Amino acid sequence: MSPDDDLVRVDRLVKSFGNTRAVRGASFGLAAGEIHALCGHNGAGKSTVVKMLSGQVAPDDGAVLIGGEVVDLRSRQVAQRNGVALVDQELSVVTSLTVAENLILGDLRARWINRPRATGRRLRVLLDSVGLAHVGLDQPLGDLGIGERQLVEIARALGQDARLVILDEPTATLSDVESAYVYEAVRNVAAAGCAVLFVSHRLGEVLGLCDKVTVMRDGAVVATTPVAELTLDSLIVQMLGEAPQRLGRRTTGDVEGVEVLTVSGLSVPGRVRDFSLTLRAGRVYALAGQLGSGASDVLRAIAGLMPAATAELTVDGTAVGLGHPAGAIRAGIAFVSNDRKADGLFLRRPVSWNLLATRLSQVTRLGVLDPRRWSKALAVLLDLCGLDPARAGHAVGSLSGGNQQKVFVGRCLGRDDVRVLLLDDPTRGVDVGGRAAIHALLRDATDRGIAVLFSSTELEELRDLADVVVTMHQGEAVRRHDGDPADTVLLREMTHGAGPALVEERP
Amino acid sequence: MRSRSLRRPETLVPLASVTIMIVAFAMIPAYTDAAIAPFDVYNTFQIFARLGLLALALGLTMIAGEFDLSVVGTYALGGMLAVQAGQEHWVYGLLAAVAAGGVIGLVQGGVIAGLKLPSMPVTLATYITLLGLTSALSGGLTKTYSNPSVTLWVDQTVLTFFSPRSLLTLGLFLLAAVVLAVTRWGRELRAIGGDRRASQVAGVRVGRLIVGTFMLSGMLSALGGSLLSFSLGSANPDPGVQPLIVAAAAALLGGLSLAGGRGNALGLLGGIMAVALLAEIVTVAALPGYVTQLFFAGLLGVIVVIDAPDLHRALLRQRTRLRPERNPASMPITTRELS
Amino acid sequence: MNNLLSAPARPEAPATERAGRRSRTEIIIVVVVVLAVLAAIVAGLSTPRFATVANAKAIITSASLVGIAALGLTLITIGGSAVSLAISPSVAAVGMIFLSAQSLGLAPALVLAIAGGTLITGLQGAVIGYAAANPVLLTIATSFAIAGLATGISGGETVSPTGTGYDRLNATPGGVALSVYALVGLTLILEWLLRRTAFGRTLYLIGENRRAAWTAGLPVGRTTTVAWLAAGALFAVTAAFTAAFNTSANVNLGGTLTFDAIAAVLAGGTPISGGRGSALRTLAGAVLIAAVSDILLLRGYSTGVQIMVKGLIVLIVVILVHLHAKGRNA
Repeated sequence: MSPDDDLVRVDRLVKSFGNTRAVRGASFGLAAGEIHALCGHNGAGKSTVVKMLSGQVAPDDGAVLIGGEVVDLRSRQVAQRNGVALVDQELSVVTSLTVAENLILGDLRARWINRPRATGRRLRVLLDSVGLAHVGLDQPLGDLGIGERQLVEIARALGQDARLVILDEPTATLSDVESAYVYEAVRNVAAAGCAVLFVSHRLGEVLGLCDKVTVMRDGAVVATTPVAELTLDSLIVQMLGEAPQRLGRRTTGDVEGVEVLTVSGLSVPGRVRDFSLTLRAGRVYALAGQLGSGASDVLRAIAGLMPAATAELTVDGTAVGLGHPAGAIRAGIAFVSNDRKADGLFLRRPVSWNLLATRLSQVTRLGVLDPRRWSKALAVLLDLCGLDPARAGHAVGSLSGGNQQKVFVGRCLGRDDVRVLLLDDPTRGVDVGGRAAIHALLRDATDRGIAVLFSSTELEELRDLADVVVTMHQGEAVRRHDGDPADTVLLREMTHGAGPALVEERP
Repeated sequence: MRSRSLRRPETLVPLASVTIMIVAFAMIPAYTDAAIAPFDVYNTFQIFARLGLLALALGLTMIAGEFDLSVVGTYALGGMLAVQAGQEHWVYGLLAAVAAGGVIGLVQGGVIAGLKLPSMPVTLATYITLLGLTSALSGGLTKTYSNPSVTLWVDQTVLTFFSPRSLLTLGLFLLAAVVLAVTRWGRELRAIGGDRRASQVAGVRVGRLIVGTFMLSGMLSALGGSLLSFSLGSANPDPGVQPLIVAAAAALLGGLSLAGGRGNALGLLGGIMAVALLAEIVTVAALPGYVTQLFFAGLLGVIVVIDAPDLHRALLRQRTRLRPERNPASMPITTRELS
Repeated sequence: MNNLLSAPARPEAPATERAGRRSRTEIIIVVVVVLAVLAAIVAGLSTPRFATVANAKAIITSASLVGIAALGLTLITIGGSAVSLAISPSVAAVGMIFLSAQSLGLAPALVLAIAGGTLITGLQGAVIGYAAANPVLLTIATSFAIAGLATGISGGETVSPTGTGYDRLNATPGGVALSVYALVGLTLILEWLLRRTAFGRTLYLIGENRRAAWTAGLPVGRTTTVAWLAAGALFAVTAAFTAAFNTSANVNLGGTLTFDAIAAVLAGGTPISGGRGSALRTLAGAVLIAAVSDILLLRGYSTGVQIMVKGLIVLIVVILVHLHAKGRNA
């Protein structure tokens, strides 16, 4: 197919953030009526392409063509005027409005005066088409569950008479039944002549729903392939690249340390069902799961950040109460959040303050800072996390992502009382060098008898770092792998759950 | 689970407060010897008119997720301009006041939306500036309005219970209620107050809306100040902070939230009526004025504490702790320690 | 796996981390500040009787009462609880306590006043610290409650001193009012507390990111409460001086102190969002406002113009501080 036939064409888009090249010359095209998947691992550049197409981020170079004309999408409004509708990666509906109000929020066709009867009929049909027939138009959105809210946002995008509809991980928080409605509605929109860009981690739905698949890796487009020429395995190979099985995996699996942390029957209403795991000293455990799989919620619950969580939790045989971070910390549980900006670091404060924030009692005498103890403790920590001492006075916000994460991890380590280290997606937004350093830090921690539990979606990280991998899907643990599981198995379980096809593949 | 609209704070809080106050008002004969006179109702509406537009102005910015402390400054300036520019004809005074309010709102909204500044410090600075400007305009003195016919007209009794001033205020409330409920502007105003990021993603023009809201807030406060000056026949350069505090109390009793996105004009009307009824009861019952303050303090304090997020977290945690364990027998099956 | 374990942290190129690089906004800010300082110096020197010792004393004296209250507010603001809108009624109530306890002698009266002030404001701090109640709204409510109770208990009457000990607070050792010594001393103590103690560090961290502080297990509730307790003590000191100066106290004793204190804190460059600021900055803010008011007064401008300029100073500083912070993080 020649590029001229495409309704939407992405032409050599380039975007850098600071010194990271998020997207380097991405090009692909979407024909009218086509459902086009965009796949790739976290950090492959998918989200940045979506942001450029939807008017949220301006490209550094390259162009977007719609209907053969170059368009300058400088804001969401301009993008909408050019016929681009969006379902954002983050849930973007307003809970204080009603369902109907959310459906027409930002709609260019909405008049100044509401005409509930005229629009009501259209919205009713729209809502029914995504499987929300049981939801009233005048119901406040806040009454709906997370999945239903997501469906409302999808319905809003599908109802906008757009030429291009972008759905960025629309089904991550949906059940299979809810997803089925979305697939049906997306097919109808495409059949009406609209181009659909479908970003997803669920490879099964990509193969079942889409016509073409563009795979991105490291900011560049690997290939655009008609779906008929793809299988689950060949798609996975495209996403992974020709990565060979790397050497250097740790083989401490046969040495069983003492039990440090036991979790049994962990449940968080609506997020996690009956999760149990025992961590032994000196080993690294991983929770492998995509957004919405509950992996991150398990960590947050153990760290005491989820007041609604219930579980029986012990550290070194002593029961620990849930629901309060200070209690978890006293028990020796340290937590590194995936959102280091919001609930991790103090960005405007220097590195030294951040490293010692939780250790003030050790560097003070009667509440007064002791400069000698302060600089001694600081030197130990800087050395531990491999940071240049000259940087100790710099604001953490001015460091690179990798160094920020080192500070965060370093703050949680270097304490004798830490027994368990929890890390939620520890290398998100961290470059290769920083990643290796953080992995080294974790290895160091286990050598000192700490049990490490982290969540990740990155196969390489799971393979390199973890002794035990527990895959998670839709709030439940799928399977525990003590050996060296194949990447394809992990990816299948993370994206599909426990399918029957897995039985013969088990080691 | 669904559509228990009565249990929503934006309905429940104003309904409860206005009901309590109406009952208390109806019981006036029980604690005074006099029966309720039509004048008492008239006077309640006069108190309402005095605060109504100020509370509406503050309320609109609260719905949008902002907080406009400068309304009292604009209120004072509006009252002063109405008197000084309106000596020849009241229309000039009113126009000058409303225009000034609009310009003040434009500047404030522009700064807040353009630089993405929090509204509290900006509007506080504007408030101080406006008080100074008003005082400088009047030389720090109370200015009398030498047009007694206007004064008599705005407060004359209409339909036993009302005056043109209270009717105008009521009318503006109804207009605001309709606009908030059935127009795109009203919907988007509540949207940016509820979740600004989501609104932006959905394609709402957030900046323009904020500027517009602050302009409207300025114009309403200036109008409220003008009407008060016409009614009193004079303009006071410094109304003090009491009007602001009472307006904020009325807005909260009206079901609005400082977090934004919540509330409607009718609830706000309920909140202000509750405040006005309370003030009238205290007057009629000849209770000392501080009793009103204690009432407000108690009501506000309860609302604020109920709204506190960490209290919710603690309560949720306690509830989870106290809940009996669900069938522990099923646990070994689901532990999934498979290998 | 040795290579990974011993992997040295790669020192990144300095260019990747923006330290010491000045953005355009920062240059603009510097230019504005320098011009403002020059203008102030020129205006000061060209104003007759401004650059005299007597006038300097007058400025610092007029800054001292607002300044002490503003120091208390600085703790609240740095700790991320924005502002208290209940300063004026607290000061009025404490002033009444102070004067009616004069028959016990100055020291017991002072202790009683400070205890009362600490309690009133500390209770609010506990609700804000432990329950995360909205400080602005809570203090609106408490300002009503305190004013109502004060009126109720005093019967709306003006309280007259029951002894004469209070007059020692009006002393002027070395020709300078006692309140000025108090302001300077308290500023230094507070600055030390903020810079050199665990309490100060924790307060800055909570103010910058309450959620992160909570997640890290820092004592959010306790530290916030202590900050408000200390603020209450400082409001009480202001109250004692104000009541002693006026030789009587009623519910209006606080006057416009709430907004004057907020203006001093903001004009000192402490952002209302918390996590930054210092006692010295607040002292500078209070003196700045007093000095500008003084220049305007000496030049014969009305009170109205003085207040207006105060508001404009606050507005400009708020905008500059915001742009400065943005320029750093951008």
